[in-house]
Amino acid sequence: LFLLDCDAAEGNKGGAASGGVSLGNPKPAKSAKPPLERKDATHAAASVAASEKKGGDRPLEKDRKKDVPHPRMQFDDKHRYEHGTQLPDLEAKFFQLDPMHPSVYKVGLRYLVGDLSGGNARCIAMLHAFKDAISDYTTPSEKVLIMDLPAKISSYISFLNECRPISISMGNAIRFLKSRIRRLPVTVSESEAKATLQSDIDRFINEKIIIADKVIVEHAVTKISDGDVLLTYGSPAVVEMLLLYAHKLGKKFRVVVVDSRPKLEGQGLLRRLMANGLSCMYTHINAISYIMHEVTRVFLGAASVLSNGTVYSRVGTASVAMVANAFRVPVLICCEAYKFHERVQLDSICSNELGDPDTISKVPGRKDLNHLDKWANHENLQLLNLLYDATPSDYVSMIVSDHGMLPPTSVPVIVREYRREELWI
Amino acid sequence: MPDTQSLVNEFVLKLKRRKVEGSQATAKQTAELLRSVISQQRVPPHTNQAGVLIDAIKAVGEQLIAANPVELAVGNVVRRVLHIIREEDLSLATTAIGGLGLSAGSDDEDNVEQDDHPGLSAAAVAAASRFTLRAPSLHTLLEGIPDPTAVHHTSSSGGDSEGKSKSADKSLRIRKLKHDVIEAVNQLLQEIDTCHELIAEQAVEHIHQNEVILTLGRSRTVMEFLCAAKEKKRSFRVFVAEGAPRYQGHILAKELVARGLQTTVITDSAVFAMISRVNMVIVGAHAIMANGGVIAPVGLNMVALAAQRHAVPFVVVAGSHKLCPLGGHNPSYMYRLIADYYSADDFVVARKSAAE
Repeated sequence: LFLLDCDAAEGNKGGAASGGVSLGNPKPAKSAKPPLERKDATHAAASVAASEKKGGDRPLEKDRKKDVPHPRMQFDDKHRYEHGTQLPDLEAKFFQLDPMHPSVYKVGLRYLVGDLSGGNARCIAMLHAFKDAISDYTTPSEKVLIMDLPAKISSYISFLNECRPISISMGNAIRFLKSRIRRLPVTVSESEAKATLQSDIDRFINEKIIIADKVIVEHAVTKISDGDVLLTYGSPAVVEMLLLYAHKLGKKFRVVVVDSRPKLEGQGLLRRLMANGLSCMYTHINAISYIMHEVTRVFLGAASVLSNGTVYSRVGTASVAMVANAFRVPVLICCEAYKFHERVQLDSICSNELGDPDTISKVPGRKDLNHLDKWANHENLQLLNLLYDATPSDYVSMIVSDHGMLPPTSVPVIVREYRREELWI
Repeated sequence: MPDTQSLVNEFVLKLKRRKVEGSQATAKQTAELLRSVISQQRVPPHTNQAGVLIDAIKAVGEQLIAANPVELAVGNVVRRVLHIIREEDLSLATTAIGGLGLSAGSDDEDNVEQDDHPGLSAAAVAAASRFTLRAPSLHTLLEGIPDPTAVHHTSSSGGDSEGKSKSADKSLRIRKLKHDVIEAVNQLLQEIDTCHELIAEQAVEHIHQNEVILTLGRSRTVMEFLCAAKEKKRSFRVFVAEGAPRYQGHILAKELVARGLQTTVITDSAVFAMISRVNMVIVGAHAIMANGGVIAPVGLNMVALAAQRHAVPFVVVAGSHKLCPLGGHNPSYMYRLIADYYSADDFVVARKSAAE
């Protein structure tokens, strides 16, 4: 059973006075779907059915104001957060979408509500869902697996993209999968093909993510010495593993966890580190100029590293790297090689992802801060919740990846040499 | 003065309990308090009146500064008033040289023992006054301060002591010094009051059409600045960083929207991301130090570094009561400003003991 809890700012901002959204249990594929009530108040989630139910029985309540995009800033996914979240719209459009495998649907919903975050976690979850989808897949008559399966996967990907724009790590994994499908020999039987693909996916996850993380931790732990004060930002999975491993090795250091609104991801990291006995300090990103003079090393994670050495990572990373640079503190980025990308990005605005603006107006625990309530009513007021930013390469001292410790300028070399389309070594 | 002492105590308590909000209000109330202290201070004749006033202000100022050392506007206003007293005394001395009798008036009080020489000859005192009128230069520094008891025949006029008019002039001078000082303090008060308008007048020169402005937190000066530009029909948009943990940016955004400005609220972590599309950063300050540095709400150092990286002009708007003479060596552009408002003798506001 699989219960989703998504009360975080999920209410429909339209005319309906609905409260939080509660999702029921999506049942396994075989059972019929319970009817979806799309009345004013509640939205109940649909469970997934393999067969498509003919919809069109509920009126859509779309109460969206058309945002006039600022002439200097065009975001491709700006429509996603036009005064309201995607969940009700997604459920409404469900019956117009192609039939979805339940695992993929589950993963999509987890992305949508923010349950799954972090490049590695999202990628692994997606690949597992694709494994399930592949195992249940049967080639339709008069179609060839090599042609049909990629098309199916593309439809899944567009669904996932609707839930939340796919990350660069996910994009690279999808390219890998499609290239493996293309390379299947024509003569292979369907069951063999499926087995090959599933083992390929397992190998990818194992080599590119799990073992890669271990290699990164082995390399980076040599950079931690006794008496260090390490600073990290947000909640990067690899850095967490690194700190726990270094602590296990018996190194004496303390950690400064820097956090920022609205996600406050650092709190989770803080709890996990303290549970393991590390001595930590917790602060907000505004205070980094104040504490940076005590810090000896900065360890940051990344969503991706681009070909000009720019690190594409959680918003705020660039500020941390900049202040560290100003105080001459080395900045080490821990990033698996599968996340490298051949794209080039010059600043954070060219390509980014928008988050839910309501999380900016509401500050949890501060009911007195209600100045931005009903912000949607003012046409002059916008709330901008950027999720990523681009750190220039000159702020980065070193990138620790499973291919070793590299300078940022070596990233295009890795992309070129180790990631040729067919090889994916 | 029991009356002023109770006023002082009341204000000290307010400062200690942080009941006064904001530099402008604090500066204004400090100035008003000091004005009452001056007007009620008895200045006996035949004494160094300026010295007496300075002592009184220093005594009160010491208490005020100790009550809230973080609010630098208090110390700034105290030092401004001290400077005013010195200046007014000096200007009275210059007019007195032209024939009126002098009874006291050197403002190099730590060098001159006026109390021991009540009956200085007019010429000697005039010489001393003329000396002080000379701008500080290497020559005067190396020359040393002339002994006022020695007679220097440098005075060009007023060589005769006009004893008959002395007593009448003396009472006139007593009243005149206090009167001038109080008038100058009133001017200071008006300056503090109208600082926002005076700054906002210059907004149109700096904000042009289709600009993107970034600010962090909330400053009333910045808000008036931006609204003044809006009044003059400039169309621009503002990014307000929320300024955790006080989140004053939310309030500023609401106010700006109410005045019709296109506003976008961003988180503090997004400042580096957004600054590549920003034309100018305009922020307020808590205090401006003598070395050109700025004391400002937390997070502004990050914004300043980002602005420097992207070559975005970083503009700090603040009233003159926030300009603090402390803070180290003055760069050239600050030196004149500090010298206009403050005296070098007042850096440490401490009452001198009577023996000195």
